[in-house]
Amino acid sequence: MRRTSVVAPLLLIAIGALFLARNLYPNLPLLDYLARYWPFLLIVWGTLRLAEVLVWSATDQPLPRAGVSSGEWVLVVFLCIFGLSIHAVRGFNTWWPRNVTIGGLDMFGESYDFPLAGQKQTGKTPHVTIEAFRGNARITGADTDTVKVTGHRSIRSMDQHGADAANQSMAFEVTGDNNSVTIQNNQDRLSGNSVRVSADMEITVPKGASIEAHGRYGDFDISAVDGSVEVVSDNAGVRLQDIGGDARVDLNRSDIVRAVNVKGLVDVKGHGSDIDLQNIAGPVTVSGTYSGVIQFRNLQKPLRFTGQSTEINIEKLPGNVRMALGDFSAQNLVGPVHLSTHARDVEISDFTNALEVSVDRGDIELRPGTVPLARIDAQTRSGDITLSLPPQAKFDLTASTSRGDATNDFGSPIREDNQGRGAELRGMIPGGPVVSAHTDHGQMVVRKASPEDKPLAPKDSDAEIPAPDKPLKKVEQ
Amino acid sequence: MKGNLMCAVQGPVMLITLGFLLAADQMGVIAFSHTWPVLLIVFGLFKLAERGFTRNA
Repeated sequence: MRRTSVVAPLLLIAIGALFLARNLYPNLPLLDYLARYWPFLLIVWGTLRLAEVLVWSATDQPLPRAGVSSGEWVLVVFLCIFGLSIHAVRGFNTWWPRNVTIGGLDMFGESYDFPLAGQKQTGKTPHVTIEAFRGNARITGADTDTVKVTGHRSIRSMDQHGADAANQSMAFEVTGDNNSVTIQNNQDRLSGNSVRVSADMEITVPKGASIEAHGRYGDFDISAVDGSVEVVSDNAGVRLQDIGGDARVDLNRSDIVRAVNVKGLVDVKGHGSDIDLQNIAGPVTVSGTYSGVIQFRNLQKPLRFTGQSTEINIEKLPGNVRMALGDFSAQNLVGPVHLSTHARDVEISDFTNALEVSVDRGDIELRPGTVPLARIDAQTRSGDITLSLPPQAKFDLTASTSRGDATNDFGSPIREDNQGRGAELRGMIPGGPVVSAHTDHGQMVVRKASPEDKPLAPKDSDAEIPAPDKPLKKVEQ
Repeated sequence: MKGNLMCAVQGPVMLITLGFLLAADQMGVIAFSHTWPVLLIVFGLFKLAERGFTRNA
């Protein structure tokens, strides 16, 4: 009897699991994982085949002529092309820590602390540059004309001697003039992998300063600065508060980006988890992949969000928007609002001007709240749509489902019309905007908004402004 | 029988080698453009081993 390989069924299961995971958790950056780890698929595949051949041989079963058939080689080639191309597209080359030391240091090394201090007299509005380093920085603006740094540097080494030598080799420097100041940790001067270093810095800058910070790993906490702020890092949590200028953040990875009270624009790019932006006076642009909770509150200028499968444009946001796994909820928006997303349940209340929602998979619940009604266009391929219209609203409504029931709880003048497997609600009170809603597969409900079901309370009101003296996270050595 | 095992093992081992080389490349340890001759060497070793087995048989 010729046995068939176990690899093909396992491959099928893996592909199935992958698609299931994508359906259940649409925000999981699966492509990112694939881009990073695809060569391991080849290794696993080969190992399975090898194990199989050895088992067959040990149990005296007939062996195939070739361990990996030609068909499989073709698949391997395709996998390689696919892997290399998504890797190239995503541009990962920094995910593997550059200075990783395997064994030794982690278990046996010890951490030695050295104080850091430096200051530089400067003008009222200097440009402060922090050169790339591992570690945390807290930057605070104050009524002063000096840039002052205090803190400490931790060096992990096998012995005190090694740590001392490393500390000597990395001079800590604060240099510059009236217009610009540079803070250098010179961690690059460290040669070899025998020590690991990180720095914790408290930096006081003149209030009018603008900040440009580069990091490798560690948090940035920047507050009370009137100039613009730019943070670029491989991996960082960024917290900004009371920024007078523009804020630009570009991260390869992050656990949180939070900005509160920014007078200029906010631009967030890259990959990360949570985003929390509040009280922003300038336009807000967010693009990249973010897997955590995303919140916006009180944005006075347009918001533009471009995520992996979600796109949002809002003209102005006096209320708030919250996105978590599979959910989108928003209250109090000024339109025109545009939202398109792949798989989320959408809940929007109190919006004006115009609203356009399109969802691939997910329910839509809309409560315009105010009259005159906004122009509404809501589409989902699979999901229920509920429209709660104010009793005094004027509109020209067409709400249809291709497969499912339609319920009219609004009463006249809306009429129900069943057509085949679907149904349609139509009605018009002259003088109102066009309201259209369509689901390919799901229920359609149009009802009267009652005072009880409004307003939708923000689901998460515990996102308070962080206390300014909150301790920074410990940089893992 | 032994030579047959050699044949059967060849594919999987090549696949594993390829996987490791590509993984090393992606991690930035060493570029695949530098390491690809390893594949030739492994292949050659297999051919050599096969000859040895068939001659002994």
